[in-house]
Amino acid sequence: MFRYIMSRIAAMLITLFLIMSLSFIVVRLMPMSLFENPEVPLEIQKQLEDKFHLNDPLPVQYFYFISDIVAGLDFGVSVKLRPGLPVFGILINRLPPTILVNFLSLFISIPLGLIAGTVAALKRNTWVDHVISFFVVIFISVPSFVFASALQYFLAFKLEWFPTLYDTNAATLAQQLHSLVLPIIALALSPIATIARYLRGELIENISSEYLLLARTKGLTKVQSIVRHAFRNSLIPISNTLIAMITGIMGGSLVIENIFAIPGQGGLTVKSIMAGDHFLTVACLIFYSVTSLVTILLVDLSYGLIDPRVRVGGKKS
Amino acid sequence: MIYDRNNLPDDIKNLPDADFEPLHQEDIKDEKFKTKPVGFFKDAMIRLSKNRVSMISGAIILLIVLMAIIVPNITGYSYTEQNVAQQNLPPKIPGLEKLGIFDGSRVLTDRRKDKLDDTDRYPEGCIIEIFNEHDVKNVTMCDVKVDYYKYSGVADGEYHWLGTDYLGRDLLTRLFRGARISLIIAAVSVAVNLVIGVVYGAISGYCGGKIDIFLTHLAEVLDGMPYVVVTILFMLVFGAGMFSIILAMTVTGWIGTSRLIRAQFYRFKGREYVLAARTMGVPDKTLIFRHILPNCVGPLIIRAMIAVPGAIFSEAFLAYIGLGIAPPEPSIGILLSNGQSVLLQYPYQVIFPAVLISLLMVAFNLFANGLRDALDPTKRGEE
Amino acid sequence: MGNEYMNKEVILSVKDLRINFRAYGGLVQAVRGIDFNLHRGETLAIVGESGSGKSVSIKAIMGILANNAIIESGEILYDGMDLTKVHEDEFHRIRGKRIGLIFQDPLSALNPIMKIGHQITEVLRLNDKMNKHDARAKALELMKAVGIPDAERRFEQYPFQFSGGMRQRIVIAIALAGNPEILICDEPTTALDVTVQAKILELINNIKKERNLSVIFITHDLGVVANMADRVNVMYAGKIVETGTSEEIFFEPAHPYTWALLSSMPDLHTKERLLAIPGTPPNMIFPPKGDAFAARNQFAMRIDYEQEPPMFRISDTHAAATWLLHPKAKANGIEMPEVLRARIERMKGSGVQNG
Repeated sequence: MFRYIMSRIAAMLITLFLIMSLSFIVVRLMPMSLFENPEVPLEIQKQLEDKFHLNDPLPVQYFYFISDIVAGLDFGVSVKLRPGLPVFGILINRLPPTILVNFLSLFISIPLGLIAGTVAALKRNTWVDHVISFFVVIFISVPSFVFASALQYFLAFKLEWFPTLYDTNAATLAQQLHSLVLPIIALALSPIATIARYLRGELIENISSEYLLLARTKGLTKVQSIVRHAFRNSLIPISNTLIAMITGIMGGSLVIENIFAIPGQGGLTVKSIMAGDHFLTVACLIFYSVTSLVTILLVDLSYGLIDPRVRVGGKKS
Repeated sequence: MIYDRNNLPDDIKNLPDADFEPLHQEDIKDEKFKTKPVGFFKDAMIRLSKNRVSMISGAIILLIVLMAIIVPNITGYSYTEQNVAQQNLPPKIPGLEKLGIFDGSRVLTDRRKDKLDDTDRYPEGCIIEIFNEHDVKNVTMCDVKVDYYKYSGVADGEYHWLGTDYLGRDLLTRLFRGARISLIIAAVSVAVNLVIGVVYGAISGYCGGKIDIFLTHLAEVLDGMPYVVVTILFMLVFGAGMFSIILAMTVTGWIGTSRLIRAQFYRFKGREYVLAARTMGVPDKTLIFRHILPNCVGPLIIRAMIAVPGAIFSEAFLAYIGLGIAPPEPSIGILLSNGQSVLLQYPYQVIFPAVLISLLMVAFNLFANGLRDALDPTKRGEE
Repeated sequence: MGNEYMNKEVILSVKDLRINFRAYGGLVQAVRGIDFNLHRGETLAIVGESGSGKSVSIKAIMGILANNAIIESGEILYDGMDLTKVHEDEFHRIRGKRIGLIFQDPLSALNPIMKIGHQITEVLRLNDKMNKHDARAKALELMKAVGIPDAERRFEQYPFQFSGGMRQRIVIAIALAGNPEILICDEPTTALDVTVQAKILELINNIKKERNLSVIFITHDLGVVANMADRVNVMYAGKIVETGTSEEIFFEPAHPYTWALLSSMPDLHTKERLLAIPGTPPNMIFPPKGDAFAARNQFAMRIDYEQEPPMFRISDTHAAATWLLHPKAKANGIEMPEVLRARIERMKGSGVQNG
């Protein structure tokens, strides 16, 4: 078990390292490097030259790059968007809205998805099931930004139920949340559908299983056997779905934040890509990777703890 | 009812003697199968064709592909042709315009009423309706519904079915040109991923041992990298353009396929008939191409079908982030993100690409689902 | 030997049970009118091929028929109730507590991610409201009774940590947990290794004696029947074609289908070819006219294609539904095949006993 954890952490670290190396290439070796750019103000150029040991051979630069990040969380300074400001500081400031939106999306999509999936499975092949399955396909196929546009146009602009953009001047938490409803919905639709589809499949299979029949024959009522056996068993291998949902939400928030002008990390990433502020971009991406990988690792490990076949048997089932 | 043989009711007792003659049966045979055996793929195609949803989806895909090929060439406009005088024209479709929709009209708000007669501002015949008259500081203002085409000085008989964008480019042409580009990017990247995946998985599965372990670990590490991050980084390095996008999408897209192929190799390596064939001297190449790979075709096709909408989505996503293909070449994603910035003013610029991409994604997913059901070997023979 | 039970009370009585299934092609007649009784303390074996209706009958007794099954007519009388009329909401009181079921495949019958101790005690704690301590004690006692060693430690383990035979013992323990008086075994040894089969059968027999259970045993294997059964019902195409004590069935079989079954059992002395039963069971959406077995019956007579044979009594305990037992058939001198007669002589000679 311990070995399992260690190997997963090692894999994650290797991946992070790879990403940082790629980032190094982006920042240094690509055309239109910031360092040659005449547009960049002189003081900043000087700052950069010193900082990044430009006169030293590449491997040395590489070393400093990595060690700066790992040791001091020093990603350099922003050049285009907020010239002179340390990147890390900019990033940290933008985290709260992103965390809020992503977390809330995940938080509401899990129960909604579970309910939808359960209803669809229990009322299999009836019109209820067909309707739910129809929406599942739509929500999974259509990209979240299409929904975001639609929601923004119809519910915010036309019906004026919600503000079209994130309300930065919101006085109360309630107001703030009110302006976040649409982006949260847009992000949540796909995860809801994903989990609903998954649960429906698992539940249907488990409901028609032998051990469910045994549960009934030993004297459990239908409800008892479905809840205690079929449902519980369906939830166990949910980790893959969860990972897909989280990945989807994190990726989707890049665009959604842009559409709703939410001052979060995703919006920052997009802006800095468009502005060509590579230090900032790279930092955002590394941050994103860390968050994403750590979350995935946690979900993966917790699955290992929950499924007794892994926990007791010591091997992945 | 159990009958006592000594005390049978009359109707049983008096059955005719002849009835009790033994019939010398001809050899009782097993029932012959009345129909010819149907091959696996044929069976799958039959089942697929009976699936109405899949058939409709497939038809939609085909239709869109055809339109992507034909439409940009027949509209009469080029996708790059700019005409600033014709900016942001609303959609106008001949025929439908008589019904009051898609008639190229737009409502202009808060106009001075006295200026309405000025034919330099409002060319002859463009005003359709005046309403909402009100006074602001002693000046009468109103809202005016105009034929925007005439208003912009567009010649009669010139139609833009889906309107134009901020540079006056015809959106119908751009939309289907964009569809063409998006589909090409998707198809090429999926094809490349397929090839890389098959080769990688085949080598891994065939060789086994240390090579396999190394390759598998390598793939696992690559797989661990967040797709978004890798794609963005690649795009930053290689710059905008179709080639870069395709390249970025092939960095990790092949991993799933390689796992599938590898698994198939392993499944077959242990099979007895493979061992038997080998001892008889059948070369490995034959085994691979005649036995192992054909079994993978089904799942491969399904994977490819599912990967296409993923690729379309990725490309649109990149466009939104600003890493799409270079202008003036359009793609569905670029059209979407361009339109997004004017969503509230000119929603039609978002609606059409949004509808198209939604249709494409849903149709591909439904078709892939139907294909998966059709190729599922456990469902053979089902109605 | 089966005789002694015939005088005991009848605890379960099935009368003229008919069950159909709605299928794509039409209505499948799975059970076409069966009658049998279960006496207290006996082991009744139901023998037949797949599709003969044996599993469907016991599912009807337990109330676990599939959704597309329709009980067209008939009664299942138990303890003053007609089980065909008991509502699903009430049935859980009967299942497990009065009638228990042992499944064929213990691997798929057990919940793979629930501790087996919990699986045994679950019903006790949920519906019988037993407290945790008592339930555990009872479960441990059961585990010992079915022969699971090291019960304390095994209580906390999962099904995948047990061998096939052990898992079946767990299934048996679960079935016994509610103290049922009737135990139904649906081919409990088919999925097990041959060496393990005998042990499980022995276990079932012992438990039956200890707890004074009445057992219905479903199987397609006549060898198993010889070991276990007091009385035997032979089923074909949804009907009981022969019923009798196991001595009667083995030493004096009367129905051609029973002859065929017995003939197809291999034994050490078989020098001639095994007689496989040719042909396939009939399509039960359109059951054939007359005797359903006629098409595969080398002893068929004209009447077999015209009219279904009624049950003819052979003795107090023995009856068969074949026109061969009609007085007029005797005249034609049809008898059981030589091969079979020889084998029966051998069986008698080597002293094959019941029980």
